[in-house]
Amino acid sequence: MLNGFKSMGRLALIGSGSEIGQAIIAKLMEQKKSEVIQVGRTGEFALDITDKSARERLVNQLFAKGDLDLAVIAVGVLGNNAEKSASENLLEVIDVNYLGTLHLLALIAERMKIQAHGTVLVISSFAQVRPRVDNFAYGSTKAGVDFYARGLAEELRGSGVEIKILRPGFVKSKMTAGMAIAPFAITSDECAKYAVRAITSKKVVTWAPSLLKYVAVVFATMPAPIFRRISQR
Amino acid sequence: MQITDLQPISGWGNNFHSRSARATATSIADLQEFVAKLAPSRGLLPVGLHRSYGDSALNSGGILIDMVALNQIEIDPLTRIAVVGGGATIAALERAALAQSLFPPVVPGTGFVTMGGAIAADIHGKSHHKTGSFSHCVRRISLLLASGEIAVFKRSDPEFWATVGGLGLTGIVLEVEIELRAVQSNAVDVSEHRVKNLSEMIDLLGRSDEDYEHTVAWIDLSGDYRGRGVVSLGNYGSTSVKSKDSRSNGPSLPSIAGKNFITPLSARAFNEIWFRKPLKNGAVALTQYMHPLDGVNNWNRIYGDSGFLQYQFVIDIGQEEIFERLFAGLRGLKAASFLGVLKKFGPGSQAPLSFPRAGWTLTLDYSMAVPGLEKFLRDFDEELVARGGRIYLIKDSRLDARLLPIMYPELNRWREMRSAMDPHGVWKSDQARRLQIC
Repeated sequence: MLNGFKSMGRLALIGSGSEIGQAIIAKLMEQKKSEVIQVGRTGEFALDITDKSARERLVNQLFAKGDLDLAVIAVGVLGNNAEKSASENLLEVIDVNYLGTLHLLALIAERMKIQAHGTVLVISSFAQVRPRVDNFAYGSTKAGVDFYARGLAEELRGSGVEIKILRPGFVKSKMTAGMAIAPFAITSDECAKYAVRAITSKKVVTWAPSLLKYVAVVFATMPAPIFRRISQR
Repeated sequence: MQITDLQPISGWGNNFHSRSARATATSIADLQEFVAKLAPSRGLLPVGLHRSYGDSALNSGGILIDMVALNQIEIDPLTRIAVVGGGATIAALERAALAQSLFPPVVPGTGFVTMGGAIAADIHGKSHHKTGSFSHCVRRISLLLASGEIAVFKRSDPEFWATVGGLGLTGIVLEVEIELRAVQSNAVDVSEHRVKNLSEMIDLLGRSDEDYEHTVAWIDLSGDYRGRGVVSLGNYGSTSVKSKDSRSNGPSLPSIAGKNFITPLSARAFNEIWFRKPLKNGAVALTQYMHPLDGVNNWNRIYGDSGFLQYQFVIDIGQEEIFERLFAGLRGLKAASFLGVLKKFGPGSQAPLSFPRAGWTLTLDYSMAVPGLEKFLRDFDEELVARGGRIYLIKDSRLDARLLPIMYPELNRWREMRSAMDPHGVWKSDQARRLQIC
């Protein structure tokens, strides 16, 4: 339960291996004290994100001991594993980023609707703005997650449950290690600041950094030849 | 009984809300059927006038049962026994009692508390050092249990004491039997004394225990935080005064765009005026004396949209040093309180979750918007616990659940009694969830 200062009692990070996820929890815990449940590949709250019954089991487990005030869903793969074929990579991003994430989101939202309070933070991406040759499979899953989450946020208006979407640009982390650093790149810590803002914001969507909101408009409307040249860099 | 859709509801502190459905009790028979048939996953909670400051009377996702319609009052002037519905208010009971030259021996700072609420919080008043808390004058409680059965508990029953101070989590108080006291008039003979600092205040309050039925002090918690204030002492009077009918609620505060009016400056100005105002001496109407804030309908709105919290704790005699620590901390925070109240309690009751017990109790009001307040109070709680003190749960919205069993060492005994009375956990509140009370 939230307390009178709107501090959270219990929250869960789904994707404990995520640097952004951990940075968000660290940022939240700077001022407040909450019980944090870490969901990762191993541990008490272990989850194989690609397994339907594992997802259902996890959500039962999360809500068994009390109300959940916040779930941060920070699972995702880029789908650029050089040892796998393009089609294998595609299946993996779909399973993890799209199917796994959305099913979890729906399950958690259902439970939060019963408790009539709670927030879910979903991590989308700038990559969903416009397909780029180097990451459109990843981008397509993020676009799907973003689209569904916006719809769900609308459906849950007035229920006490809030869905918040964070759209980071390039975040310097182990997930992006070795990749060329894109403009407007931020660190995980900086990204966490925007995430914390997103959680308490009245708006559904928060960009990280905020300027990306306008960059996205330019990106989306730019003529294809120019876009091609820019995105090749 | 009809159930409404979920709607946002907040406590008196107006600092946060949760969404719950509401059902209004119109008769005991209907209520009995409703409770027996329904087993909602998020539970039921009886509520009255929502005067609890935090989340004691909230139940997110569950159903609140509005009890105010079950408000009958019958008084036998010969035995001085009142049989009162769980939804009747203290103010209504006072009116009915005064008509027979009687008065409830224990009344809280507001008359807008139902019998159910008074039992659930085991409320106290200015007479605590003489009379103890509300349960002291209750002889019998008729309780609707989660099973739908009605049980009557006497003072010798453990269920009576589980219900007293039990935050509404043992069942619905349908009716209480209260022993009233005789009064000669509708007035209190009051004498007020200005004191320069905390030690003078403590000294005067301590000395006045024997001679006065009612003692309380208003303490200025702003400016230099030395604890100057006004000590108010009173005894039941013999000559009546004209009094306003307390049914007319008085003026309401306009709500100006949810702004907070309590700043360090305004609190200081208010406290200055309050300290300088002419002292009352002589007869004052009982209802006015007991419930000074009831004159303004919605005084809780002065804190604006961010709301406020009331922090009340009790500490043993001999631990007065903690006040200095508190005041120094509050001065550091630049947190000015608009309402500081100091009172000396007499011995406590045997109810495991009842708050009052022998010692000093201090009450403070703070806007939630005071920066650093949450951490400050968290740290202060630790010191309080180290010195054996505890806070009043009906005003709480922020205690760390870890400290609850230390503050209330009989919590587990209460939990056992409650599980026997409500094996399926039908009665639920947000506070119970937050503090893992049950």
